[in-house]
Amino acid sequence: MGARAQPNRLARATLSVFVAVLASLFLLFVVGPVAGLVSSGGVRGLSALARDTELRQSLILTALTATTATILGILGGTPVAYLLARRSFTGRAVLAALMDLPLVIPHPVAGIALLLVLGRASPVGSALYAAGLRVAGSPTGIVCAMLFVSAPLYVSAAREAFARVDARYESVARTLGDDAWRAFRRVTLPLSARGLTAAAVVMWARAVSEFGAIVILTYNPKVVSVLSYDRFTSYGLSEALPVAAVLVLFALIPLAALRALRHGDPAPR
Amino acid sequence: MISLDHVNARAGNFALADITFEVPQGAYGVVIGPAGAGKTTLLETIAGVVRASSGTITLGGDDMTQAPPESRRLGIVYQHAYLFPHLTVRQNVEYGAANARAADEVMERFGVAPLAGRSVVSLSGGERQLVAIARALARRPEALLLDEPFSALDPRTRNVARRVLRTIYYERRFTVLQVTHDFGEAGLLGDIAIVLDKGRIVQKGDPEQIFRRPASPYIADFLGAENVFAGIAQPIRAAAPDWVESSEHEFVQHAVAFTTGALTFYALGDVVPGPTHAVIRAEEVSLSAEPSMSSVQNQFRGRIVEIVPAGALSRVTVDASGTPIVAAVTARSVRELALEVGSEIVAGFKATAVHLC
Repeated sequence: MGARAQPNRLARATLSVFVAVLASLFLLFVVGPVAGLVSSGGVRGLSALARDTELRQSLILTALTATTATILGILGGTPVAYLLARRSFTGRAVLAALMDLPLVIPHPVAGIALLLVLGRASPVGSALYAAGLRVAGSPTGIVCAMLFVSAPLYVSAAREAFARVDARYESVARTLGDDAWRAFRRVTLPLSARGLTAAAVVMWARAVSEFGAIVILTYNPKVVSVLSYDRFTSYGLSEALPVAAVLVLFALIPLAALRALRHGDPAPR
Repeated sequence: MISLDHVNARAGNFALADITFEVPQGAYGVVIGPAGAGKTTLLETIAGVVRASSGTITLGGDDMTQAPPESRRLGIVYQHAYLFPHLTVRQNVEYGAANARAADEVMERFGVAPLAGRSVVSLSGGERQLVAIARALARRPEALLLDEPFSALDPRTRNVARRVLRTIYYERRFTVLQVTHDFGEAGLLGDIAIVLDKGRIVQKGDPEQIFRRPASPYIADFLGAENVFAGIAQPIRAAAPDWVESSEHEFVQHAVAFTTGALTFYALGDVVPGPTHAVIRAEEVSLSAEPSMSSVQNQFRGRIVEIVPAGALSRVTVDASGTPIVAAVTARSVRELALEVGSEIVAGFKATAVHLC
């Protein structure tokens, strides 16, 4: 029996080492390029912020448009997420699939789709233009592109957050005198708040880093991702590096906050 | 008053079908049934959390079938309490309370006032359940729906909670409908019992009657009747050879011979001749060393195959010609009759103790 246990232990140890090496390589693959980028251009990028007006303006534009898109995503996506998490209705699966669609189509394709619907040549775009709202080639276009590609992430995560809150909390609140909206506000919302915040942070970070759809819909004014691409194609790697590093650091802030938020997140009961 | 008239409802894949019963104003109703019978769905349908697809739900005399839960003037307590984890004990109890005094009063009475400032996350299972009951009562509901509210409590806390709830119930006389697995509890608490299985009511009425006269072998088995026999019934009228039932009227009208395996015993009942079931509660079976000369008509000599002590009573199984008969006897009887596995004994029960279903 002892003789048989020995090879088993050896096999387990070998497997552990193999898994550890595999995981380390994977981590290196993911973290390596980002770390290399930040270490090569981070300091230069941060110092460029003081003197590079275009970068500064681009950063502000990115923050404002991503925040606007996120707010719009929260306002429109929260009811949809709640509906998908709580209600059973005909076409629910179709709605869920439609919400996920922007996640699976290439983002330049998303940009083309948006341009088709919101560009000046389209009925909607021309109507908006006539009303004084220009979409393509404006911050509005950036917001639209960001909203389109990142809102599904919010809806998906918010739906999970709602689903984690047992519907019976709402049932109890209803029998204690709350109407549906009040029960949502007093019970469901506080219990899913962490999940919803995390969903919003993920959406914001995704919006900040969006490039493909934005570059089709609004090349100018430039968000940071477009600016880094522009600098790369115009001046080469050395000029693009600080901008790219700033973008990475900028996106890291909410992600770090998200991790802190998730740390010790208790499952509601 | 809680009244349901031909109510149908669906929750996911589960359906309640044709539910009709009434718990009068101020009465204590109990719903019993196996897991998955639809007990919680029934309470949620009454509460309005699950919508009735047809039928009528009347609460306190008003048709509430289409009313939202907040208008139904009732409270619900789930088995798992569902206290709001982001609120303190006091905030939970005050959530829907009629007023702050009502919340203080029930917290005091359920002994949770000292916990008022604590987060509910830090409470024990028993404490959570007490707070949940207090929360429901603080609203001063006209009807209270309880979904196995005591199942998570230790025996001592359970007794305290039952006593306090019972006291408040007697004071306020609201209507109660309580789900329980425990038929002992149902008999103890209920004025009316509803037996539910697979979304349908299979029997309803006085708990004692259901206990004594279950409508089917399934219910008898579920309610813990030890002696459920399948056999053939044959009305015998005056032909019974040793029939000395005191009530001549009953004898003429309902005497039945029931044959199961090698045994034939006498019963009373309205049955169509043919296959049926007989139920005899273990408490109705007596044991004696020799056949008694009393009015006990069904007496069978057999051999003891098992003695299981269970609290004050022992369950003694007697093999009578291949048919096991279980008797519940006191520990004193076990001693006095020197009962032990393998010894011979006579098991007897009255014809009136046999319920045919």
